[in-house]
Amino acid sequence: MLRESAIAFDYEFDPATIADPVAPMHIPGGEMLRRFVDALFNHPGISLQTVRDEILDSLGPEALIDSCSVFGNFEMMNRVAEGTGIPLSPREIERQTDLIETLGLASP
Amino acid sequence: MFTFSESPAPVRSDIPESFRRLWDTVAEPGPALTALQRHVVLDLARTGTPEPSDAGGLPRALLELAQVLYTTPASFDYTLVARASRDAGYPATVEVIALVAILAAVDGFHRALGVRLEELPEPGTGDPTGRIAKGLAPRRTHVPMPRGAIPVALDLLPDVGATYRSLFGPLYMTPAEMGSSTFSRTPGLDRAQMEVISSRTSLLNECFY
Repeated sequence: MLRESAIAFDYEFDPATIADPVAPMHIPGGEMLRRFVDALFNHPGISLQTVRDEILDSLGPEALIDSCSVFGNFEMMNRVAEGTGIPLSPREIERQTDLIETLGLASP
Repeated sequence: MFTFSESPAPVRSDIPESFRRLWDTVAEPGPALTALQRHVVLDLARTGTPEPSDAGGLPRALLELAQVLYTTPASFDYTLVARASRDAGYPATVEVIALVAILAAVDGFHRALGVRLEELPEPGTGDPTGRIAKGLAPRRTHVPMPRGAIPVALDLLPDVGATYRSLFGPLYMTPAEMGSSTFSRTPGLDRAQMEVISSRTSLLNECFY
């Protein structure tokens, strides 16, 4: 989804930057949004309040609400996926093979 | 309820409206669990306190599933579902997965925004509704579900599945909006920015789906 939408917006996005906490993402505010999630996962050295204020100042109040709501939605979706064990379709796995390898997500 | 008076930014009205409807639903009996049992599951997931002496008659395996799935989804594995399904049946297990996932959405939004969590609704009375889809079986999945992608994953319990899907629009995108790679909330985030949040969250939850 991210790759397709980045292409649609003409962003020069590299999927590997999702797994890299500091690499430039070439998406407006991308590094800040990535840091916001890291703060929510209690990564050391990142203040959630500080990143929240940065989003508010740089991207605006609506963007902060969107960031919070998308985070909430995927906290839900991830648990539904894990809990029900719904698999990716073979077609989707084939389509995403390079991304699976880039992010180191292939099963051992 | 869900006033977000402490929020650092105005909250779109569709979000608290959807949360209020959700709380009303959660307070009622579900397909397989009473309202009190649903409350026990949600409270245990959120507080992580040891199993209460009166756990609403729920098997320990079901409570363990709720706690692990809420607190550490990355460490969740099939054995938790297998034990819960064996001891409580598929419908109760799917209902617990749904309750915990929905609670994670609501609480996740609050934590991200930096506001206090909403108190759980007082449980109502009555028996479980028994509305459970017939003829479904696991299809390379942990639990029975119809064919399709993740939006139908909870449809062993049709009412629960509908409640879960009702959050997509307010929190993420409606099905119609999901069809557009160039969707943008104006003002707000564009789709690529939204997917930075979704992708990083999924990566840190160790969920590739």
